Amino acid sequence: MDKEESPQIPRRTTRSLSTPSTSNIVPAAKVNSSLESLTINDLLVGGDPVSLDDIISSFPGRSSQIHEIVRLLGPLNSPLLPLFVYGGASTGKTSIILQLFRHLNRPLVYSSCRTCYNQRILFESVLNQLLLHSKNAANCYANAKRCERPSDFVNFLREALTGVINNLKEKSEKMISKKKVHDGKTGNMIYLVFDNFHLVRDWDKSSTILPLLFNLYDMLKMLEVGLIFISSTSPDTFYTNMGYVEPIPIYFPDYTEGDIRQILLRNQANQKLYSSFLDVALKPFCRITRQVGELSTALKPLFEKYCEPLSDKGKGVVPSEDMKRRLFNHIKPHIASSLNDVFKVSSAPSSEVETGKQTKHQGNPKRSERSEEIGDLDFHMSTSAKYLLISAFLASRNPATLDASLFDSKGGSDNRKRKRKASEKALEKKEMLEEELLMKGPGTFPLERLIAIFQCIVSVAEDPADEDEQKNEELGAQCGSGSLMSDVLLQLSTLCNANFIFKGKSCPIEGSTRYRSTISEDLVLKVARSLKFPLSKYLYRS
Amino acid sequence: MEGENALNLLRSRICDTGFIFKDSSDTNYSKLKFMISTSVAEACNNSILLLGPRGSGKLAVLDLVLQDLLIQYPDSISVVRLNGLLHCDDISAFKEIARQLCMEHQLLFSKAASFDDNSQFMVAVLKECGLAHKTVIFILDEFDLFAQGKQRLLYSLLDAMQSVSSQAVVLGISCRLDADQLLEKRVRSRFSHRKLLFLPPSIEDSQRLLVHMLTLPIDSSLPYDYAVEFNKKVQNIIEDKRFKEIFNKLLNFDSSVKHLLKFLFYAVSHMDLQTGFLSRENFETAFTNIQRQPKLECLKNCSVLELYILVSMKRLEVKEKSLCNFNAVMKEYKNIHDSFQTSDYYARNVCLRAFEHLLHRELLCFTDNRGHSLSVEFRPVKLLISSAELHQGLKAYQSCPAILQKLVERDG
Amino acid sequence: MAPSSPSNTASQLSSTATENDLQPFFVLHKASPRRKDRTSAGQGKSRKRNKLSPRLPHSAKKQEESTDEECDRYLCQQQQIEAFDIVWTKIESTIKDVLRELNASVFNIIQKWVQECFNTTRLVGEPSISVATRSFPVLSNTTPGKLYSALVVTRNIEFVDDIMTFEELGIFLKSHGCHVAMLSSMEFSLKNGIAGCLKALLREFLGNSFDPADISALASWYREQENYNKPLVLIVNDLERCCGSVLTEFILMLSEWVIKVPIFLIFGVATTVDAPRNIFPSHALECFCPSMFMLVTPAERMDAIVEAILVKHCTTFNIGHKVAQLLRNYFINQDGTVTSFIRALKVACLLHFSMEPLSLIQGRILVEDQEGSSGLSPETLLKCMHELPSHARNIMVDQTNESMAEGLSELVTVQKLWSTVVLCLYEAGKYSRVQLLDLFCESLNHVLYPSRDSVMSDEKDHGLSSTNDPFQQYSIMQSGGLICQIARRVRDLPPGKLDQLIESWDKITADISEIHEKLKILQSSVRCQDGKSSRRSSKDINKRCDKDSRMSNLQAIAFLDDLVRNYLRPIEGMPFNEIFCFKNVEKLQSVLIGDPRRRIQVDLLEFHNILCCSCCNKSGKGLLPSRHDSSIMYSLAQEHGDLINLHDWFQSFRTIVLQNTNKRKQKSKQTPLSKKRKEMNGSADQNEASIQARFCRGITELQITGLVRMPSKRRPDFVQRIAFGI
Repeated sequence: MDKEESPQIPRRTTRSLSTPSTSNIVPAAKVNSSLESLTINDLLVGGDPVSLDDIISSFPGRSSQIHEIVRLLGPLNSPLLPLFVYGGASTGKTSIILQLFRHLNRPLVYSSCRTCYNQRILFESVLNQLLLHSKNAANCYANAKRCERPSDFVNFLREALTGVINNLKEKSEKMISKKKVHDGKTGNMIYLVFDNFHLVRDWDKSSTILPLLFNLYDMLKMLEVGLIFISSTSPDTFYTNMGYVEPIPIYFPDYTEGDIRQILLRNQANQKLYSSFLDVALKPFCRITRQVGELSTALKPLFEKYCEPLSDKGKGVVPSEDMKRRLFNHIKPHIASSLNDVFKVSSAPSSEVETGKQTKHQGNPKRSERSEEIGDLDFHMSTSAKYLLISAFLASRNPATLDASLFDSKGGSDNRKRKRKASEKALEKKEMLEEELLMKGPGTFPLERLIAIFQCIVSVAEDPADEDEQKNEELGAQCGSGSLMSDVLLQLSTLCNANFIFKGKSCPIEGSTRYRSTISEDLVLKVARSLKFPLSKYLYRS
Repeated sequence: MEGENALNLLRSRICDTGFIFKDSSDTNYSKLKFMISTSVAEACNNSILLLGPRGSGKLAVLDLVLQDLLIQYPDSISVVRLNGLLHCDDISAFKEIARQLCMEHQLLFSKAASFDDNSQFMVAVLKECGLAHKTVIFILDEFDLFAQGKQRLLYSLLDAMQSVSSQAVVLGISCRLDADQLLEKRVRSRFSHRKLLFLPPSIEDSQRLLVHMLTLPIDSSLPYDYAVEFNKKVQNIIEDKRFKEIFNKLLNFDSSVKHLLKFLFYAVSHMDLQTGFLSRENFETAFTNIQRQPKLECLKNCSVLELYILVSMKRLEVKEKSLCNFNAVMKEYKNIHDSFQTSDYYARNVCLRAFEHLLHRELLCFTDNRGHSLSVEFRPVKLLISSAELHQGLKAYQSCPAILQKLVERDG
Repeated sequence: MAPSSPSNTASQLSSTATENDLQPFFVLHKASPRRKDRTSAGQGKSRKRNKLSPRLPHSAKKQEESTDEECDRYLCQQQQIEAFDIVWTKIESTIKDVLRELNASVFNIIQKWVQECFNTTRLVGEPSISVATRSFPVLSNTTPGKLYSALVVTRNIEFVDDIMTFEELGIFLKSHGCHVAMLSSMEFSLKNGIAGCLKALLREFLGNSFDPADISALASWYREQENYNKPLVLIVNDLERCCGSVLTEFILMLSEWVIKVPIFLIFGVATTVDAPRNIFPSHALECFCPSMFMLVTPAERMDAIVEAILVKHCTTFNIGHKVAQLLRNYFINQDGTVTSFIRALKVACLLHFSMEPLSLIQGRILVEDQEGSSGLSPETLLKCMHELPSHARNIMVDQTNESMAEGLSELVTVQKLWSTVVLCLYEAGKYSRVQLLDLFCESLNHVLYPSRDSVMSDEKDHGLSSTNDPFQQYSIMQSGGLICQIARRVRDLPPGKLDQLIESWDKITADISEIHEKLKILQSSVRCQDGKSSRRSSKDINKRCDKDSRMSNLQAIAFLDDLVRNYLRPIEGMPFNEIFCFKNVEKLQSVLIGDPRRRIQVDLLEFHNILCCSCCNKSGKGLLPSRHDSSIMYSLAQEHGDLINLHDWFQSFRTIVLQNTNKRKQKSKQTPLSKKRKEMNGSADQNEASIQARFCRGITELQITGLVRMPSKRRPDFVQRIAFGI
């Protein structure tokens, strides 16, 4: 049938682009010169015709679903109960649907509930497409209709649909009169596709929109309209606010390892080499995740590694057994490392040099002889901010009841130790509770407590026990501890902005706000090290 | 070729509610027709509730009735349709009423009209219709939704009907059998408590329906002998006892008409177009494909790591830990690893990603809706899958680590 | 606080009232007009020779003779101001250039990156107009397209410095033919949600704002001819501050349009590269194809600025050791932003020019018009000269202008030498990662001098005996601190690097003859060393050549030591240095680290230290009604805890305010301000009302200054004290 179809598509599209006067055209589109006004054919997916076999071959492990959908869509002009296509992320739901419509060459109205992030935009985008409206400078990118209420939407939709359907009907009549072959027809059916449908659930808590869309079919009572919902969650996750018979389910399971293998092999230069690579790499990765996207991103750099020993980056090499073995030994260590990595940042090749230089120079400007061990804290922070950060971490980490025992204003280290020991057995009791606390994550604390801890820490840090601390402080003699104290609120706001401290809602001058440090422990350790600050002494259950 | 035509015919039958209930000897049909026609004929007011579970053809029957009546009294009926999903707020409801009345009587409808304008307009039109001995039939679909809030619409509708001159019928359609209990006192007092109860069809009825749907018309565009052949085959299938048990299972699961139609639609659309005849296999596949077990499917999709996380969460539940968040899960996961030396022990961030996958699959969910303050790994979560399901799923999962199954069985 | 009349007049009188901020103190006191002018005149004088002459401010005869110098002081001020403008504009422009050329390389890299990404997306395929403006994604067999995103790491938790950087980046990219949108974290707030940031995005690109902001509008806009075939760049300059959930939504939405709308994201990341990992969930991270770019560290920026401004002396303005340290510590301890450092520098500059009459010479030097007659009469100039303590210190026989002139010229040359030495040290220091800022501070320290000589002397006897290390004979090896450190590093520098170092020295010292020839000697000696080592036979080459290299290192150190000992002399010690060198730390600190909350409290409590008026002085600590209401109230509040009962407070306030009127009943004649009391004392109830009114105003002022919090719902009759302990 595609042979017969092929002459049609280009002709149709050309006509659609050349003659701007077929049917109801948004007047604004006439004004605009850059865009041809849309015709009914722009509701088709367009592109070159594809045969069903091509589609099946291009989507490994999806043939059953494809057949099922084709059967359910049925032959030309046959009505359709709403379909509900669901399956995990990146299982080819959307693309298969679109490809099928391209193959069947039937008009559809597609709207993704992610791009249309609320009901109004969803409504208007659907209407735009039905009214063949094209945004442009002339109509200053406005929508065809302004429609917020569901009731208006249904009315508008009815009008628009009838318009389109009549349009289709007369078109197909024309074709029949022109003695066109039967297959070329686009038919009288128009399909509304709602993608990312699961997102609709979090739109409005009143949840009027969800039942509306599910009931749309019964409301319209138009046999020529077919509804297709594409969701990444199963129908039962909609039950909560959908107390009625759900549409016909079509399930896309995640790809099996074999399917994934084929998919990854799909467009590779050197199939043999890559498959031998997959023999090694794919299995362990599939134990972690079975999402194609993640796998491909994870495997890509690994494959480059794999090819490194080869001369020409593995172009047209047919791997022999021993070569495979060699490569395997080469790649094995990398696999283990990249298994435990989710997010790789490739520093741009040209800026490699930069970064290298930077890392050499970076470090704490305060005491340059320490810069090497601080090398890992690779961003600049003022000393008081560091102290504040540490104290915030402590405040979140330690239970408030222990502050008295952990800190004392004089902050003599020996003194502190004794106190710590004294409170040891008291701690033993709360062991289990503290465990829980740690699990529950950082606690909140009021500003006063933060500042109190901060003062203790600073006073301790500046006691002359630590001689080079002293050295650095006598440099700053005239602005000593007092100055470190001076603008704590400023530093606090800085830390909040840097997302290190989370601040509850209300104005900071009022004590009523509670803070929470969201910083990871190792970062704190880095900071503490950069200050030569004995964090572990203060950290309860470190 | 004729197979395709037959398919089209059947599909359009299934999708067309009108056809389904046609000449189905439904008592409600006659009752309803009687009520409305009398109230139209005697020019009196009336209000009726059509109650019944979803998909039991309330609206369909009503439509049939109205069709007949419109033929019977061509110019003394005007219909106003409202839907609770669209017009549950009074403003849009009155607006919609005004719009439809305008369309009915070729009046100009102004979008800008205010709420009061519309309500007054409605009352006025009702009066006029009353004088002209024209019955206005209000159809309130999803009646229970109109009953939430201040019920001003219902009140003013029913109140307008109290006046002798007016002449209207209010038909409430709801799937809540206690719909009339939702009404306020002032509304209920004005409401004449006629209720029609729609029940899902009995097995016999649904079988009758089946036949009614699937038998092709002998006298039609379709070639005669094909149609006969087709009907014979269908008859055989229905006689077949394997089919019967499938059919019974289906009805036990959900005996509403809509569900049956879905089943039919699926089966019919799997009809083999080459031969052009239905087969029992079609119905079997349809049955299996309509009854789904999403949770188990989800479990099949999970990667091994995700299974580990699920199992460790399950263990936490069994231990009745007070809170369960990612950190706790990780601890449990580590325990499992330490005690059994499993091969797959992965870094924290990878596990976090798997955890998020589970959240997306909705096998887990956060117990607190207010997030944002805490990062994901601290927010408490709960399992959305029963241990039985989990156990079953693990059994079904090929290449599932034996240790996991053992753990789950031990916990029972 | 409501400014009462005296403050205005004061500000008129003192055009430089900004730097020693006196206004608030006036407000505290309802001074009678008679007292006002005296105090202000007193300030005038005290401001002129500030800290040079702590003579008691107001004595009658001083006032008379002050009138004539009044006028030329005014003239002088004018010229100081314009001199300041000249100098500061010079400095500012220099800083701008320095920063720009610091960023230039990174900007270029980023721009290249954008172009590459754009080309790669084009390779995937250019959708036709009808396709691109359609609602559904482009069909392609490849795995879904990714969002190319650059993480520009500004390694400073403080964000202020980088605002400018990103704006410039935006301009730069625009100039290289990209559509650029700048969004801040404000747009990605939870409150506005996804709609908010989309709206902002469209506003940035399309210009006008849309009610339902929809990305399809962007798509169709992009397909207009004039916009097409240019990459779209979206700059979000503070990633950490954005609300994660909203940003995630936004990213996912963009990823749906990635082929139709080739938009590239540039995130400013303040802290670490894996900040996105904390913000985004994994499925959002999937959409990224991230690459990282590093901006220069604030420390490096700082060094560049210091080098340009304070070491290479783009102007003659200079700062003293203590000031330098203050600035350094401020940078390290308070807030590590270059911006604040520059601000501090500006303040210092302003203070200097306003306090030092002669500083206006600098303006001249910059403008190079010597013959322009100095606005103020030569004798006043001279007088100022004599008042310069440094001038007084080294006793001069004749006080003529040429002595001045040569003094000045010497000053300049010394400064040049000094800066050259510092640069040389810095060059050497680069091998041991010495921050120029620290080096700068140390080398400004003129206290080092005597110590160095003493080290030299005592080194002579024990140096050789104690250690046979030839390096120990040089003083810089013993003198602690950075310079010593640098020297140590130079000592064990491998020959190759040493040659590089000497090369760089050669460049630096090119125009300073006396240092340059010393360097020449060094170079020649090192060369002959190399020559010898090269002619060595191969067997004993290794031990030989390393000895030679040690020889050359030794010479290098000798060179450094010589430089340090002879030329590293900050001008602070020199005569006339006050003209160029700003040394007044206390003032600068008080301006810089104001610690306003504490300051306010202090001023409210013992205000009489600041304005010395008769009534308050004699009354010492006792509360007088003549004080300003808010100060009275605050000192009353001291008696309460953190919760203050409003009623008690009011009562005590009332008694204080009224006590004076009762007193007036006994004593017939009284200070002029009791007159003021009289008319408000007309009717009792009206008086009551006015007192309440004043009380309320007082509370409001205290609230505004952030000292108390208004009564809460739970305890309506209590205000809460927020600030404790001074």
